[in-house]
Amino acid sequence: MAASQSPVELVCPAGTPAALRAAIDAGADCVYLGFRDETNARNFPGLNFSREELAEGVAYAHARGGRVYVAINTFPRAGHPEIWHRAVDDAARLGVDAVILADLGLCDYAARKHPDLRLHLSVQASASSAEAIRFYHEAFGIRRAVLPRVLTVSEIAGLGAAVPVEMEVFVFGGLCVMAEGRCALSSYATGKSPNMNGACSPASHVRYIEKGDKVVSQLGGFTINTFGAGEPAGYPTLCKGRFEANGRLNYLFEEPTSLNTLSILPEMIAAGVRAFKIEGRQRGRAYVANVVRSFRQAVDAIARGETPPDMALEDITEGGRQTAGAYERSWR
Amino acid sequence: MQYQRTERSRPVDPPFSPVLLAGVALTPVPPRLLQPLFDGVMAVVRRRHPDILERLSAYPDAVVGIDPVDLPFVLILEPRPDRPRLTVRRDFSDMTTTAVVRGPLSLLFALAEGRLDGDAVFFSRQLVIEGDTEVVLALRNAVDGAGIDLDADFAATLGPLARPLRRVGLVGGRLFDRLSRDMDLIRRALVGQALKGVDAQSARLAELESEVATLRRSLRQRERP
Amino acid sequence: MREAKLTVGPVLFNWRPEVWRDFYFRLADEAPVDTVHLGEVVCSKRQPFFAPHLPEVMDRLTAAGKEVVLSSLALVMSERERDAMRALALDAGDLLVEANDLAIAADLAGRPHMIGPFVNVYNEGTLGYLAGRGARRICLPAELPLETLTILAAEDKAEIEVQSFGRLPLALSARCYHARSHNLHKDGCQYVCGQDLDGMAVDTMDGLAFLTVNGTQTMSSRYANLLGELGDLRKAGIHRFRLWPQSGDMVAVAGLFRRVLDGALDAKEAAGRLADLVPPDVEFANGYVHGREGHAFVA
Repeated sequence: MAASQSPVELVCPAGTPAALRAAIDAGADCVYLGFRDETNARNFPGLNFSREELAEGVAYAHARGGRVYVAINTFPRAGHPEIWHRAVDDAARLGVDAVILADLGLCDYAARKHPDLRLHLSVQASASSAEAIRFYHEAFGIRRAVLPRVLTVSEIAGLGAAVPVEMEVFVFGGLCVMAEGRCALSSYATGKSPNMNGACSPASHVRYIEKGDKVVSQLGGFTINTFGAGEPAGYPTLCKGRFEANGRLNYLFEEPTSLNTLSILPEMIAAGVRAFKIEGRQRGRAYVANVVRSFRQAVDAIARGETPPDMALEDITEGGRQTAGAYERSWR
Repeated sequence: MQYQRTERSRPVDPPFSPVLLAGVALTPVPPRLLQPLFDGVMAVVRRRHPDILERLSAYPDAVVGIDPVDLPFVLILEPRPDRPRLTVRRDFSDMTTTAVVRGPLSLLFALAEGRLDGDAVFFSRQLVIEGDTEVVLALRNAVDGAGIDLDADFAATLGPLARPLRRVGLVGGRLFDRLSRDMDLIRRALVGQALKGVDAQSARLAELESEVATLRRSLRQRERP
Repeated sequence: MREAKLTVGPVLFNWRPEVWRDFYFRLADEAPVDTVHLGEVVCSKRQPFFAPHLPEVMDRLTAAGKEVVLSSLALVMSERERDAMRALALDAGDLLVEANDLAIAADLAGRPHMIGPFVNVYNEGTLGYLAGRGARRICLPAELPLETLTILAAEDKAEIEVQSFGRLPLALSARCYHARSHNLHKDGCQYVCGQDLDGMAVDTMDGLAFLTVNGTQTMSSRYANLLGELGDLRKAGIHRFRLWPQSGDMVAVAGLFRRVLDGALDAKEAAGRLADLVPPDVEFANGYVHGREGHAFVA
């Protein structure tokens, strides 16, 4: 099921073994996942893989022609590099197809210790230029870069011509409006950051308060949003909150919305993108199966020279809204 | 870990559904008579899904209230690794909980089986979360990751009773699916005539219908191959 | 103990060119600081405006005995920006260049340079790697706790600099929030960011001061203030402290830090005087160093 003749690879999220199986069964070429600790940027409660679960997941995927990438994409805590080193060592030992890294020092470690291990550059490394990507390629032999969600499609096309590595882009799901890996908004409000703790706006600091018909969402004690009766809610990620600035109360950074690039997939392929990534390791397996199936159909349709079919994905998006985000210049 | 006093302050309006009817029927039943059923459920979890409790091991002291808004009782989940408990009660009075999850039973079933996406349901305001969001998220992730099939689990709980029950579709999500298909008919037969011409109530009825439709659509999606 | 040094970081806001120039002239003439950074970090569209004043400002600072460091852009995306960064690396001559994006790192490799707080240096592995390529000084990201600062300083491979005063840079984006708040697009922004000398206030719905927007950059509302932590930081082996320019009297701010570092002024008293040098509604934060929320202030 997973094997396809498509020019692009569908890289799909798995927060749990059940989600991994759902993704592979729904047509994922690859699944990316993380260990159940602070070494990955989705270090959410109850989520992620033990070493045994990873071994089983690799077996499940490989038996069906799929691949497994392990994200070790937080920045190792000074004084404790061994936790991150062990994650790289174990991923290599368990036969994963690539590790996804963000930290320079960890890239250096992986390249020296496991010269045969395929290295991908995480979006958290925020490599937004040909020079930055070439730097990682020349220094550590990075074979693929996951591009930050700050570039337009035409910038991606320019990049493709200038870098000697494969390009992977996000095509669906949660949308960082800040340059990934360089955002301390979460730690400013909660003390916990994506870079250090693997969680943005961690659930431990989230409160929903019912006030009559309204629900107020707070992060670290700061009110991030209020939703009226019947209004679709959002997760209290700082950059999707309502704030008052310049005398107006509105979504200063971004509305609660999800990235959806179904309509521009052909342009992405034309721009030289090699892999489409679906965000959502923290989402349930229903989400994974639904989105992966939709994108499988779309990618296969494009490979046959057809227009991708319309997909009804509004139900699973934040705020019921979708955007092509930074891929379109007008977003800026 | 923080605890909160829990009251059923703002119950979610229950959707018009077979569960609601079943709930009305269950109202006179004292919770203690239902307790053995939930002891059985917990035994099945320990036997068939130990990974759920393992994923919750970081929250040994959590007390999670589960409030199926269309049933006349609530559940208390305590995922203590040594002795996990699922207790049925009339309500949360005199209780302290770390978090409470409220929603229609069909939704809670669908979430448990991973048929619906928890975030999506929450975004759409059909599910209400109070208290420690982290515990709820851990529970959601643990349950979703377990790959639960309620039919099979009910079979394990009910033993020899399960097969005949399953044949008539009275367990798991399919119970709801089947019965809700006939809901329009039942509703029309029961209340349709009486409400004719009353605009305000018609609007409420349309709302109910769309709620049932939403749930049904969600259930249908999972049926597709 | 090694001598403590003070750095004034690059102006992060969009100040009018003359204001920008006069700010640096005054630093050159009066501020008790060792190093001054120049260059546009946030938005490449601003660069052309103050560029004409760059040579005279550099001369004045150098003549006053200050070390001048050229700061690079923090988020390099377009062809034009990439060319500008390459030119910066090539034309800097003897001046130290601060890399705020790895786009410029390749061009700086093998020669002494500096790594800015917009490049993620969180641990000894990364520190060692960058030092091995010629990084002599590293200004660390804002969110690191004292424990990490201590470990990195003990590596002794590069001089460690800590952000100690002013609004903390927290995030960067391709989108301009200043323009967005004025219903404008980044391409036609009318440089509205220039209206707010210290950035645009961002309050929560219930009226708490929370963040600050500076074009494509998001900063803290509170000003970092590590006057009370200077002693501990120095014991941890950190001897260089960065002050971020704000529109207030930076010469006086630098003076307070200088005197506390020299032991000529009690940190508590200095903190009291610092409060008089910032706008009355501005609060202080030092939470990150204490391993807390960045907005926290630990007395």
